[in-house]
Amino acid sequence: MRRRDLALAVAALTAGAPRLPRAQGAQLVVGTWGGDYGEILRQAVDEPVARPAGLEPVQDVAPAPPRKAKLLAERQARRGSMDVAALSDVDMYELAQHGMFDPVPESVRRQAAIIPALRKPYALPHIYSARVILYNPNRVPVAPRSYADLWDPKYRGRIGLSDLLYAQYVETAAIVGGGGNSDFAPAWEKLREWKRLGARVSPSNEALAAALKSEEVWLTVMWLARGFMWKKSGIPLAHVVPSEGATSITYEMAVPRNARNKDQAWRYMDAMLDVRAQAAFADRMGYVPTVTDAPLPAELAREISLSAEDQAKLRAPDYGYMAGMAPQVLEFWNKEFKG
Amino acid sequence: MATLILPATLLVLALLVAPLVFLLRISLNEYSPTQLMIEALSPANYLRAIADPYYQEVMGTTMTVALSCTFLALVLGLAPAYWLARMESRWKSLALILTLFPLLVGNVVRAAGWMALLGRDGAINAALQGLGLSGEPLTLLYTKGAVIAGILAVVAPYMILTLAAVIEGIPRQVEEAAANLGAGPLTAFRRVILPLAAPGVAAGCVLVFILCMNAYATPVLLGGPQFKMMAPAVYDQFVRGTNWPFGAALAFLLLAVTLTLTVIGGAALGRRAR
Repeated sequence: MRRRDLALAVAALTAGAPRLPRAQGAQLVVGTWGGDYGEILRQAVDEPVARPAGLEPVQDVAPAPPRKAKLLAERQARRGSMDVAALSDVDMYELAQHGMFDPVPESVRRQAAIIPALRKPYALPHIYSARVILYNPNRVPVAPRSYADLWDPKYRGRIGLSDLLYAQYVETAAIVGGGGNSDFAPAWEKLREWKRLGARVSPSNEALAAALKSEEVWLTVMWLARGFMWKKSGIPLAHVVPSEGATSITYEMAVPRNARNKDQAWRYMDAMLDVRAQAAFADRMGYVPTVTDAPLPAELAREISLSAEDQAKLRAPDYGYMAGMAPQVLEFWNKEFKG
Repeated sequence: MATLILPATLLVLALLVAPLVFLLRISLNEYSPTQLMIEALSPANYLRAIADPYYQEVMGTTMTVALSCTFLALVLGLAPAYWLARMESRWKSLALILTLFPLLVGNVVRAAGWMALLGRDGAINAALQGLGLSGEPLTLLYTKGAVIAGILAVVAPYMILTLAAVIEGIPRQVEEAAANLGAGPLTAFRRVILPLAAPGVAAGCVLVFILCMNAYATPVLLGGPQFKMMAPAVYDQFVRGTNWPFGAALAFLLLAVTLTLTVIGGAALGRRAR
């Protein structure tokens, strides 16, 4: 084979190979979800705020579990591949226990605007929502009031669940069974009961949305924000804040200890907390801003935030307890609930 | 000569053997939710996986699916392989490309195609309901049948091409001699071609069986959340459960079972060839 042919062959072979994201200069790698989140991050944070500030964010797109695995695999390495990692508060706490992240420095100016309850030493809150009940008002004329109502035999075979949110359902079942965010012991029996009542597991949130749309299932437990997006996409849905109190979910961003571009990473946090970026996530995805100064139109606020009464009952996840229970929760979900 | 082989050998050692040794070491560690893993030299993960009825069932499903797919690929692949091997027209290269065509599409994309076909609102259900053959949409997706069909579509080209290569090497005169002695085409195929092609059958079956045992994307996408084969179970432990030691032990058990069955099956088929 002539040298030119060889070069062409190598070029052809590597043409389709994925490029490893690697930041240079003002660049930084943001480990994030793809889909709507990644797209809105690009449109609402990267383009209007981060780039004018001289930053060049590059997205490393993956679902949360592979991102966690990647961070764990790289934790001993001198230089990691991500400068900013986005994860849920539960996942972020779990990784912070491994000493994965740098503490948030004073230099992040916007942290002063953060809602005090959402502050953490190892991460900055990006957006938040709460876990509510979504139901199809055409099929369920009398709205359920509580999580416990979802165990009513009249909804047999009509409860849809997403395989990704298994830990949330365990917590929900624990609350119904008389336990709570720090006591999952009553969850197992309630989940067995739910399984007997024909609760169906969809492989992804998107598959669950399709099942709700086709009216295969009528009710689910889901983030209020996602319910807002699904409603906007034309799925017949209404939401109820459960009488037991909704549990909050915060999506956070942190800087791994071995990030290569820490200065840029912390400057990106300011962009992420910018009022314009925060308002855009509320408008497009239905997540509530984590800063106190982002404008939220009254009509939108009604759709995506909780009333004062519901806020008073808001439950906070017990991160330490959840991290400790994680193996048992996954094992029960895989072996018993789905088995 | 030995000096020439050395760089390649070292490369294989570095890229294949070293990660396996590393994984083997991890499999002997203890899991810790807060420290990821604790250094140990314990067979506990292996013992737990072997004793657990859940993983016995997952391994059983994996073996059933792999054996079914291998058998079906062989039965369905023999005729096209023979036809391809004996083809003399100028369309032969086109036929070869068509056989390879499914491999040009990634596993995930191909599975997405199957989902569009088999889903509740998919093409098959739409056709059945349109023709009035079924009232309610049938559950076709997220079944073992869907997984077997999906994997079969991936592995069939490997079987066909392996068989065709061997059949091509069998001289035509052997078939003519069989016909001369009064054997019909089917008898000639069964008593002459098939025994002569046995090494190809063995190679094709081994190749396909290994691919099926390790299938990941197809069982995840077409089997749905309730269907479990070993490769997705290994991934689940590493990525969702962050239990690397147990995931590594499961991976080695899968490797051991695949290797054992491959050696036994290969030897049995090889004996028949002699």
